[in-house]
Amino acid sequence: MSDPQNLHETVDEVFLMMLNMSCDAIEQQAIQDSETITAVVGFGGLLSGACVFRSGKSVALSIAATMTGMEFSEIDDMVKDAIGELCNMLAGVWKGKVPELSANCGLSIPAVITGRDYSIHVQAPEFRLHQEYRFEDEVFEVMIICDGLH
Amino acid sequence: MNEANAMRVLIVDDSSVMRKIVERALRQAGLEPMEVLEAGSGIDGLEILRGGTVHLIVSDINMPLMDGLEFLRQIRAQKLAGGVPVVMITTESSEEHVKQAILSGAQAYIRKPFTAEQVKERVLPLLVGV
Repeated sequence: MSDPQNLHETVDEVFLMMLNMSCDAIEQQAIQDSETITAVVGFGGLLSGACVFRSGKSVALSIAATMTGMEFSEIDDMVKDAIGELCNMLAGVWKGKVPELSANCGLSIPAVITGRDYSIHVQAPEFRLHQEYRFEDEVFEVMIICDGLH
Repeated sequence: MNEANAMRVLIVDDSSVMRKIVERALRQAGLEPMEVLEAGSGIDGLEILRGGTVHLIVSDINMPLMDGLEFLRQIRAQKLAGGVPVVMITTESSEEHVKQAILSGAQAYIRKPFTAEQVKERVLPLLVGV
């Protein structure tokens, strides 16, 4: 479950199939955009926790454009929807790679937060996978935060 | 199928982005001409089915208000869309979820993320004779 390889494979699979793009895992690197978007999909049932996707505005616009074939200049409802759905797929594929979770762990509806200078606080998870990825010339990050199996 | 006799497809998903992606995949699969009816939940989907005929239903499972499995159960209970093929498209991919979908009345199951080719492979065989 805490194997980082599962996360890399998950990101690869989702980006290749839905956006026809590959993303490289990179060493820790800050997101440069001052405006960011964060999508959170909760895990419930056998596992308590969440999958979190975070990127700057330009990555979010680019992802939404590729997914829909439309052009975006602002983080509007359609962009939020696209990023929420992307996070939903990341959460679903990741849990599908863990046999004991696949059928016994549900996913919440995605929650999406946008803005500047906000932070997401999670109380001392049992384990955390956190990885930055390069998308075009920019960065996004994916986190799996879990309290372990019930 | 000519323009006046277009394939009517109901796409049920709380994500408008996913509805667009599914529509695009169906068009790439060759479902033309196609008239798309969209619903953001099972409740909206039932409303559309009460109002007219469709040839194909594509539904998500995880949705607020009424999820996809309850939507399928209600289609049966209310005797709507008799004989119309139903395809579930969802992030849930366990055997248990697939079994539940089939028991609820789905004829096919596509896991997100998906390619247009996968949609074509699963959907087209269901439309023979439509």
